Amino acid sequence: MNEMMNKRESIIAEANRLRWELGENFHDTLMQNIYEHATEIEKKAVKYPDAKEVFSFDRTLDKILTSKFLGFPIMFLMLGVVFWLTIQGANYPSGLLSNLLVDTIHPALKTFALNFDLPWWLSGVLIDGAYLAMAWVVSVMLPPMAIFFPLYTLLEDFGYLPRVAFNLDPLYKKVGAHGRQALTMAMGFGCNAAGVIATRVIDSPRERLIAIITNNFSLCNGRWPTQILIATVFIGSAVPAYLAGIVSAAAVVFIALLGIAFSLIVSWFLSRTLLKGEASAFSLELPPYRPPRIFQTLYTSLIDRTIFVLWRAVVFAIPAGMLIWLVANVSIDGISIANHFIQYVNPIAFVFGLNGVIFLAYIIAIPANEIVIPTILMLTVANLGIQGVGAGSGVMFELESASDVATILQSGGWTLLTAINLMLFSLLHNPCSTTIFTIYKETKSWKWTLVSTFLPIAMGLTVTFFVTQIWRLLTN
Amino acid sequence: MNEAMLLLFIGILFLLFIAILFYPEKGLLEIFKKSRYANQKVLLEDALKFLYDCEYNNIPCTLNSIAGNLNISADTAAEIVSKLQNMGLLNANRDFLLLTSEGKSYALRIIRVHRLYEKFLADETSMNEKEWHKAAEEVEHKLSDEEVNKLAAQIGNPVFDPHGDPIPTSKGEIPEKAGKHLNEMEPGEMATIIHIEDEPHTIYSQIVAEGLYAGMQVRMIESNEKRVKFEANGEECILSPLIAKSITVGPIKLEKPVEGKLKTLSSLKVGEKGIVLGIAKSLRGQQRRRLMDLGIVPGTEIEAELESISGDPVAYRVRGTTVALRKNQSEKIYLVKEEEKN
Amino acid sequence: MNKISENCINCPAHNISNLKKLGIDMSSFDYVVALAGNPNTGKSTVFNYLTGLKQHTGNWPGKTVTRAEGAFEYNGKKFKLVDLPGTYSLLSTSVDEEVARDFILFGQPDVTVIVIDATRVERNLNLVLQILEITDRVVICLNLIDEARRNQIEVDHRTLSKELGVPVIPASARQGEGMDELLKYIYEVAVGSYICKPNRLRSRSKELNEAIEKLTEMIKEVFPNLPNTRWVALRLLEGDQNIIDAVRNGELGNINLSKIVEIEKEAAY
Ligand SMILES: Nc1nc2c(ncn2[C@@H]2O[C@H](COP(=O)(O)OP(=O)(O)OP(=O)(O)O)[C@@H](O)[C@H]2O)c(=O)[nH]1
Ligand SMILES: [Mg+2]
Repeated sequence: MNEMMNKRESIIAEANRLRWELGENFHDTLMQNIYEHATEIEKKAVKYPDAKEVFSFDRTLDKILTSKFLGFPIMFLMLGVVFWLTIQGANYPSGLLSNLLVDTIHPALKTFALNFDLPWWLSGVLIDGAYLAMAWVVSVMLPPMAIFFPLYTLLEDFGYLPRVAFNLDPLYKKVGAHGRQALTMAMGFGCNAAGVIATRVIDSPRERLIAIITNNFSLCNGRWPTQILIATVFIGSAVPAYLAGIVSAAAVVFIALLGIAFSLIVSWFLSRTLLKGEASAFSLELPPYRPPRIFQTLYTSLIDRTIFVLWRAVVFAIPAGMLIWLVANVSIDGISIANHFIQYVNPIAFVFGLNGVIFLAYIIAIPANEIVIPTILMLTVANLGIQGVGAGSGVMFELESASDVATILQSGGWTLLTAINLMLFSLLHNPCSTTIFTIYKETKSWKWTLVSTFLPIAMGLTVTFFVTQIWRLLTN
Repeated sequence: MNEAMLLLFIGILFLLFIAILFYPEKGLLEIFKKSRYANQKVLLEDALKFLYDCEYNNIPCTLNSIAGNLNISADTAAEIVSKLQNMGLLNANRDFLLLTSEGKSYALRIIRVHRLYEKFLADETSMNEKEWHKAAEEVEHKLSDEEVNKLAAQIGNPVFDPHGDPIPTSKGEIPEKAGKHLNEMEPGEMATIIHIEDEPHTIYSQIVAEGLYAGMQVRMIESNEKRVKFEANGEECILSPLIAKSITVGPIKLEKPVEGKLKTLSSLKVGEKGIVLGIAKSLRGQQRRRLMDLGIVPGTEIEAELESISGDPVAYRVRGTTVALRKNQSEKIYLVKEEEKN
Repeated sequence: MNKISENCINCPAHNISNLKKLGIDMSSFDYVVALAGNPNTGKSTVFNYLTGLKQHTGNWPGKTVTRAEGAFEYNGKKFKLVDLPGTYSLLSTSVDEEVARDFILFGQPDVTVIVIDATRVERNLNLVLQILEITDRVVICLNLIDEARRNQIEVDHRTLSKELGVPVIPASARQGEGMDELLKYIYEVAVGSYICKPNRLRSRSKELNEAIEKLTEMIKEVFPNLPNTRWVALRLLEGDQNIIDAVRNGELGNINLSKIVEIEKEAAY
């Protein structure tokens, strides 16, 4: 028995001795061997065309897409076009959905509840809370996402993303980050939790942490519609109608680029303080362009996104809706909980150019960014007591759906400054709870989870604070 | 003064305050961190390590050299030596200081942590080469055996540190010393650098600044009391003998020693082709493996295909694939240009 | 299972008569099949085709980062299919490839399907040759053959198969081309009616060969039944802790699933 053990130990000892003897480069020899073998086999089995340029189309295209003068403009243009299409395309289905879900079905449900003598609180929680929140999520959030993502997937399938990473790499290198961080940010555009998981492609632990912490600066599924909506309502409407689409698209692109800028700044900061180090090596394969199967891609991606958004709407919006209704209707000293909070927070929020409703909405929306706008809408209505048919606040009716949002928000005291600050704060605030949990799972560290949670909030408050004060200084 | 102005002012003050606290390297927090360090245990362990080094290199060791090396007074050095004696780690009398076998294995343990950690920093992190030693000096006194073994396992139980020194095993085994100092080489002789002493720091950083690293091939041109002149990877290099002494060389392992001036991959212009000769030893660990996995091994044909906007990274065509590399890698890959070969 | 036809709206070829896509129903499978290969060669596309699931695909290396599992039935046998993140090599230590590496090395799949890119055969062979070192139950899916055709690259799969000693099936997963052949060979290799005779590497370095020989001898003495001592010797020389531990406590030969991390379901979906 013991003898066996000794023999095993001697294998290990011998291996160690041999390693010292072989020196460090035996791995090199091994790899060289494998490749010699591979070349030999390939020579026998593969025939390349006589024309000397293989993939000449790819090469030409690459030259254009990564060229000094056109590389970045094309990138911005692509992003801009995608948003423009989204904004133009989402308007109509959005109106249609909100007409149907909010303006038609909701009152019908109320009538139904009245007829059946449901207790007011029950119909409140279920219909004015849960149902309405879900209806808003679906009508406001679904259409833009169902247009944006299929278009984005087309770019991805074509092979454009690695070129973006290639173009952006010099910037990432300067701030001490990994070049593939650009790719993980691109994944974050879909969902930050997925983006955080995607950081596994970064094999340096330091740079991976940086990528995880900064992933939140790429706008996600739950925040694009917020940006698009607010940009359309407040910024698009500030310019002549024929420019509205382009200007709103530009505003959204600007926020997205600001997000990238912030991710660079934070990476720079981290590389010099908490996560000290220089940019390590980086290798990225640029795959050949592969013509995507357009219709099939559009179709599967559309279904995929729709299911994703609907699922989140059900899982997160329903309980949130109930909560919203409760805080808006349960009163202490004759004033609802929501009102207490809003009044208490308003003076603080004013300093940041926001308002109490927004802060409350961001607290309720911790589980999912998708419900920020619906929550703001419902709380504003409740807070103002805009009265519709039926009892109870937190309900809105008879507003022309397309401009619903604008009307509600303006009567809630929103200005262009509030809108800008909301767009900024939507970019710079804590990640949603799913993402926070994913960050914890991926880093296994509370410290980094807390940093990734609170750093963006601190930044958001700082940025909105300065924007607000400077704005007021200039406009007074 | 209106309210916005006041608030702005307060805001800026607040940002300044944060900046002063957290500023990289010069912030208060960093200064505080640096100030508290150095205590008895650390000194004892450093002394042990130094004593071991002396024995390994066959250099006599005195109280003065200990004091000099640890940057402490001779009195403190004497105190430490007597403490080590009391702990049964050291035999000392008037003429010599000799580690007991316990002392040796204690020292080897510290050395193991130090070298492993340097290896870890070199392979797995992107910390600057000049900072490895300092970081390892701190960590070597802190890690437990278990943590050390875990670290070793994680980086593939390396047997050499980035300076070319053997890493003791967890049982305290270490191979015999090999090689000689660079200045002891004969003119015309060729050798491989197997070790670069990383202490004192000033000398080490000079060597690093010259671009010398363990694994590099050198050919001696002349060596006398004034200067040591040699060729390293085809580049001529002159060092003072004092500095050259910090470099240990060993016999050449490779079958074919590389001669003449080498081109690097980073020198290829778009459209130019080359044949890879090898990857510099200073490209280590995971990064090195990844390059070879991508097909960049000696003999591979490679072509610069695409330059990014600022000229770094560059995409290269290798074995039918296109791979983008940053300059800090491509300048460590040696090759001959295609037309030169013909 | 009526779901099948629904899942398969887009498949051009419903006509693979004996294939039943089982989605995530992985109850009582007979064989485990792993999908290995370089990044971006179409592993997830093959996976989706065979299981009817919807793993995300995308034209860039590193799209899949976690393991995904699904199942299909063919000729009455149930197969569990495991989609892995792309890997360049089994010899590397990179964290991003760990999931795939561990599964290929220790997951003991009954068949390993290596999906390779027909337009970049040489680079892909690196991984193929490494995998052939540790297992001989391999089927190679020569994917993206449509892309190769478009670029006039001719790959002779018969020569390739002869050189490697394992079946090579030209395919175009996105179009469903070659999938029935692939299934046929997966089945045959799994049940053992097709015996692969893989072509093994021989090192050219004398020193290395001697070192490997020496260790191999020692290992054979202590673990006489081990199928692939050469690979173990190599891993020892590389300092692989898993193998060192396994040698130390005598458990070499059953280093396996304990090492495999639990399936990580992506939290976000
Ligand atoms: N033209 C063509 N494209 C294909 C084929 N198979 C896959 N693709 C495309 O190739 C790209 C990569 O496919 P994936 O299935 O994501 O590749 P993968 O091997 O899973 O990649 P990783 O998960 O990153 O390792 C996708 O854009 C697919 O649509 C094919 O047979 N022909
Ligand atoms: Mg995949």
